Parts: sequence; C-alpha cells; structure tokens
Amino acid sequence: MRPDPTVTAELAELDRALAGEDSPFTALVADVRAQRPQMEPAFAARLDRMVDDARTAPRRPRWLAWSPLAGLAAAVIVAVVLVSGNDRTSTPLRGLSPQVRAPSTAAESGAPKSLASPAPVTGQARKVERTTALALSTGRADVQNVADDVVATTQRFGGIVDSSQTSTSDSEASAVFALRIPTARLDDAIAALSKLAHVSSLQQGSTDITSSFVSSEARLHDARAERSALLKALARATTAQAIDAIKARLRDNRSQIAQLKGDLDALRRRANLARVDVTVAGNGHASSGGGSWTPADAARDALRVLEVAAGVILIGLAAGIPLALLLGAAWLAAHSARRRRREAPASRP
Amino acid sequence: MALPATPDTSSSFEALYRSCGADVYAYVASLLRDRAAAEDVTALAFERALRRRRSFDRARGSERAWLFGIARNAALDELRRRSRTAALLTDPPADTVADPEDDHDRRATVRAALAGLDPRERELIALKFHAGLSNAEIAKVIGVGESAAAMRLHRAVTKLREACHAS
Repeated sequence: MRPDPTVTAELAELDRALAGEDSPFTALVADVRAQRPQMEPAFAARLDRMVDDARTAPRRPRWLAWSPLAGLAAAVIVAVVLVSGNDRTSTPLRGLSPQVRAPSTAAESGAPKSLASPAPVTGQARKVERTTALALSTGRADVQNVADDVVATTQRFGGIVDSSQTSTSDSEASAVFALRIPTARLDDAIAALSKLAHVSSLQQGSTDITSSFVSSEARLHDARAERSALLKALARATTAQAIDAIKARLRDNRSQIAQLKGDLDALRRRANLARVDVTVAGNGHASSGGGSWTPADAARDALRVLEVAAGVILIGLAAGIPLALLLGAAWLAAHSARRRRREAPASRP
Repeated sequence: MALPATPDTSSSFEALYRSCGADVYAYVASLLRDRAAAEDVTALAFERALRRRRSFDRARGSERAWLFGIARNAALDELRRRSRTAALLTDPPADTVADPEDDHDRRATVRAALAGLDPRERELIALKFHAGLSNAEIAKVIGVGESAAAMRLHRAVTKLREACHAS
C-alpha cells in the first residue's frame, strides 16, 4: 500500500524541517524539540561509566562456549556444589556444622565459617536482607518448653514474633514460628536458638537490596522535587483549566510519594529485621538439649551419604549416557560403512 | 554503521552509544513520563544492547532501529510492571524560562497538545522529533510496514498541529 501523495509530501516537508531546512514545519519542530526530555548530568555520567565498564570488561573466552565437554564440566561442578552445599546447609552430620553452635563453641573447635552464612556488610550504605530457616527437634513432651524458650530468646534479642503455631497430638507435637530479629544481633540469636534443642537443619541466605533501596530513594527525591515544581506552577497558574490540571497532577504526585515512602519503609524493615523461620518438631527419638551422637544419628548420616552418592552417580549418568549414545551411533555408522565397502566388490557381476 | 562480530565491535557500540544515548533517553522519558524510571530503563536498554550486540543483523534494519527496539521493549516492560501511566510528559516548567513571552506561550500550548495525544501517537512524535529516526526505522521499531508507519506518523503530526492551532 502506497501512502497518499499529500501524506508523502507533508512528511518530506517534516523531514526537511528536522534537517534544519526551511519548511512549514520549522516552528513546530522547534517547539516540540524544546520539550525534549534531557538527561541529568549525573545520570549521563553514570551511564557513560556503565557503558565504558561493560565495553572494556574482559570477554568470555571462546572455549567457554557451550559444548559437550562444558556440559560435563558443569555437571561435575553441580555435583561438587551439591555435595559441599549439603554439608553446610543441613546438619545431619553432627560436628561438621559450626554455624549451629554458639560462637564460643565454634571458636573452640576452630571450625571454618559456613559458606552459607552471608558475607559481612562492609559499607554502611549496603542494605542486605538476611533470612534463616532453623529446624529443631526434641522429645514430644518438651515441645512446649522449647517453644516458650524460642519466644523468650526472641524477646531477649529485641526481636518480634510475627506468628506462632503450636500443635500437639498423642504421637507427636510441633511448633512453627515466624520471627523478626534485628539483623545486627542475628548471629547471636541463632546461636542461642540452636542451643534450645537438637538442630535438624539450618539454612541461611542473604539478598542485597541496595539497588532497590537507592532506586526508591531517588524516585522519592524526584517525586518531591516534582511536587515542589508543581506547587510553583500552581501559584503561577491563572486559568481555572490550568489550576485543575495541576491539582490533578498534584494528587497523582501525592499518592506516588506515599507509595514510595511505604516502599522505602518496607525495604528498611527488611534490611534491619532478619526473617527467621523456626520449626520445632517433637517425636519420641530426639532428646532436648542436643544429647550425644546415637546409633540412630549414625544411621541417618549414613543414609544421607548414600543419597548424596546416588545424586552424583545420577548426574554422571545424565552427562555420560548421551555421550555413549553418540559414540555408539558413530561406531554403528562406521561399522556399516566398512561392511558396505567390503561387500561392494563381491556383489559386482 | 553495522556492529560486526569482530574485535572492533566495542568501539562501534561506543559510537552508537555516543550518537544516540541522549535520543534513547528522550524517547524512553517521553514514553514513561517519569524521569527516574526513564533513567533505569535507559540504563537497562544499553545493558541489554551490549549483551546482545553480536546478535545484531544489519539485514534486518539499521543499528538505531535495533537499539530503539530494545529500548521500546524495556520501556513497555516497565509500563506493564507498573500497570499505570505516569502523569507527566515532562517535568513541570522550571522558573528559569528565558524565552520571550510569546515563545513561552506557544511552547506551553505545544506541551499541552503533546499531553493530549494518545500514547501511541506521542511515541511516534518522540521517535521522529526527539530521536530523529527515518520513517523506515520507525516502522522497524514499532513493528509495522513502512507505509503504515508513515500514515500513523502523519496522523499524529496532523493531530498535534490541529491541537496547537485550536489552543
């Protein structure tokens, strides 16, 4: 479909005006271009740096490109990570998990700090959200006592019990807590909670929320600046239509500021109060306060070792079977070709 | 200028960035009408473009059209994420307006006329007036044929002129 000749002619005139030539559109182009949003110098500098850094960053070597060998290497790495991750994030092999102990105990044993624990926050400006999931097990009759101790320990460290639920039956009892503990005292609080009963597992994570925080702060700053400019514009407005339009924009701006303030408060809360989920499981096997390493513990540890070994074998098979199939297909093709070559002279008349 | 997959790709990209970084920002800011979001989206668009620069195919259009296509997708993602449109086309007029009185009035009229356009029309105006794209490049960016893009652009410009004259 060809455009109307009038349309083509007018667009050509527009292009002439945009190119700086004299045209009926010259004034319109100048006026629209006067509305062109301009980058803030600070942002322009930031963008320059970002592009420059990315441009000069070292390139990924070609040998890292996807290949069967890389796949195999990735599988091995995954297996290693799984094995080491299991050692650190859950604690069936007692004595190998320093993070479940009180700091003094860990120091005495000289055990290394777990990889799962978050890196220390080096700059005050960094905002890091920390989360912990702690599973305790104890005798069924002791669940209520341990639950009471969890609440007392949380309060001792200045934390809040967001929610708690305790259930008991003839055969078992359990308690579930969602806690908020000041991030600065999290490690001490976890050490204290870990002393209350046998630690079945402990998982810790951290998320850097600095960029969200900085972005929200910048938006709030901009929204406030916009509000100030709108108020000035309102003072200058003379017609009822202009006043109404500015008031409508002020309403939007006010709700935007309220929303951004809420976002910032929520982010601050996430950074200042770590989320700790504690479950206390009561059964007839474990005793409160930790206790010694029993044959049942040994059996569980052995089972866990077997699980991990099976996982490694499975990953090895996942990488090896397609390779073996390919090699088999290649061998069959070569074998068949050789056979055809051998049989060809014999079949000639 | 194309982005060949050779060692000088990075310098080509830098040239592209230098030539249209401000244009991309102006286009994205016109779409989003939110300065902070426009900064985030512009940075994201260049980051994506850097990551995908080897996938650029000159047979499918110019580099500028490719880059503005990436910026458009990033801006639309942002709009979808927020599920709302911002209230301002540009920031409110500053106090330091040095234009003569009649220029000031005319530009206020144009600003109001731009604000009254449909978002799709405003996008076309931004691509043409702020980014300086050709009609063929605009067609690539918005994913329509060149004739359709020309027709839509003409309609938007006509509506803008009429709104300016009506005020």
